[in-house]
Amino acid sequence: MALVELKNVCRSFRKGEETITPLDDVTLEIHEGDFVSLMGPSGTGKSTLLNLVAGIDRPDSGSITVAGTEITNLSRGQLADWRAANLGYIFQTHNLIPVLTAYENVELPTLLLKLTATQRRQRVELALRAVGLSDRADHYPRQLSGGQEQRVGIARAIVANPRVVVADEPTGSLDTSTSEQIQDLLQRLNRELGMTVLMVTHDRDVAGIATRRLTLNRGKFLPS
Amino acid sequence: MFGYVLKTLLRHRARTLLTLSGAAVAMFVFCFVGSVQEGLERLTSGSDADRCLIVFQENRFCPSSSRLPEDYAPAIKKLAGVKQVMPIQVWTNNCRASLDIVVFNGIPPEQIRDNRPVHLINGSWEAFLTRRDAAIIGRNIANRRGLKSGDQFTIGDLSVQVAGVFASDVPSEENLIYTSLQFLQYSRGKETAGTVTQLEVHLTADADPDAVASLIDQTLRNGPVATTTRRKGAFQASTLSDLVDLIGFAHWLGYACVGLVLSLVATTTVMSVQDRIKEYAVLQTLGVRPFRTMRLVLLESTLLCTVGGVLGTVVASVALWMGGFAIGAEGATIAFRPSPELILVGTAVSCTVGIIAGLAPAIQAATVPIVMALRNE
Repeated sequence: MALVELKNVCRSFRKGEETITPLDDVTLEIHEGDFVSLMGPSGTGKSTLLNLVAGIDRPDSGSITVAGTEITNLSRGQLADWRAANLGYIFQTHNLIPVLTAYENVELPTLLLKLTATQRRQRVELALRAVGLSDRADHYPRQLSGGQEQRVGIARAIVANPRVVVADEPTGSLDTSTSEQIQDLLQRLNRELGMTVLMVTHDRDVAGIATRRLTLNRGKFLPS
Repeated sequence: MFGYVLKTLLRHRARTLLTLSGAAVAMFVFCFVGSVQEGLERLTSGSDADRCLIVFQENRFCPSSSRLPEDYAPAIKKLAGVKQVMPIQVWTNNCRASLDIVVFNGIPPEQIRDNRPVHLINGSWEAFLTRRDAAIIGRNIANRRGLKSGDQFTIGDLSVQVAGVFASDVPSEENLIYTSLQFLQYSRGKETAGTVTQLEVHLTADADPDAVASLIDQTLRNGPVATTTRRKGAFQASTLSDLVDLIGFAHWLGYACVGLVLSLVATTTVMSVQDRIKEYAVLQTLGVRPFRTMRLVLLESTLLCTVGGVLGTVVASVALWMGGFAIGAEGATIAFRPSPELILVGTAVSCTVGIIAGLAPAIQAATVPIVMALRNE
């Protein structure tokens, strides 16, 4: 059974008088352990699809099942609980909480789970070690470089052992060298930890690290 | 998540300090106004105000113009329902409203010792009872004027020896100076000999105050001076009527202070949430429930308001306690004394205002569409 399953999903927006349909009757299956990259020109619905899988947006029609839960009918509160337990989200602009240290930022998702203080600490330390930032745990986001911030963002996304990690252009705001480090890290998460990753990118090289590459155009997937 | 709220407040130090100080100043004024109202309430209600009568010269309002024969006291004592009569000569340095009014009450010394709700905190009753020009003075006036036992205190043409300083559970008492009745009568010249300003009538437990008041006025109608007898609370309210109006108006000032805190904290919280709307969207993306997001905002506004409000309340209480402020007119004084109730009300008001101020921004943070907020730069 697929870990992520989208069936006949449609999503449209109104922009003034115009109706834009970034996703038109999209059907997709992602299996456990897949590393899927999603490419396509701007405005073709890549981020929309990612947000739907992450449960922070709702489709107009169709169904989305992730990790065995049909998420389209969940309430906002239920979706939050579901995300806390099943989803890791890597943002393009890191979106770390500026008043919290790297450690505290990574710790945030674990506060929403039923874990003991020791379990929480172990998980945070493990996640920070996985991204190579154990020595920056006490640093605030403003004291970190862009690449380090993104690695903290990745540690935060994986700390709760989510079933699915979604990444919205994770290298979009980084220079080439830092981007390569992040690509390497995402690959390791997939290969070594077996995490299922759905990544949106507009960079063909970055998309190349995925095991499965999809291209969206005008609301539909193009044949591989 | 409490740590997150605390860190947020600490990180935005300027905003936090400005809001705290605004809330503190407003609650300081609120408590000051509250203490004045409490003082007036204490003066015009309660068992003493209801079970005591004041006999005053008819159609006279200022203590300096009321002159009753002292021998009215035994005549009143004989009436049914009367337990005790206390002749009082009042002298004040200022009949108008004043924040530094000095009021002397001349009463037979044994009656002061036995019946007034006072206890000496220094000095001795013996010195008061044996010396003709001795006076015992309330703690507030002693603090205000820097007086202690053994000092000579002169004001106008009155000069007394301080025999002791007293405290009282009735705050307005602490703004009085007690001397013997005879001393006060004779120090003002021969024309006041044998007269008193007013008579304080204590009633038996079963007496109807209004019926006894009518009976006193009827009985004394044929005497040399007609009287008006009222319950002590009503007498004091009437004496302080100008101030009562002013204090009535001041209570709107109290409400205005609450409104000020509300708008200040609400504005601060709204701006803070709008600035950090993306942060709240990130928290919800990580799995923080909308209701919990709402609680984070509410906690922030409530903390700001409560800490600021409590600070203002405590500072106001200390200032009121140390300052011993009182306002008086025509021989009656309203003491501004902090009370535990006032501190509780100040804290509760601050806390409630914090919750109300945070409601709208909390709902905004909890219900904003996540995708839209994440795009917000």
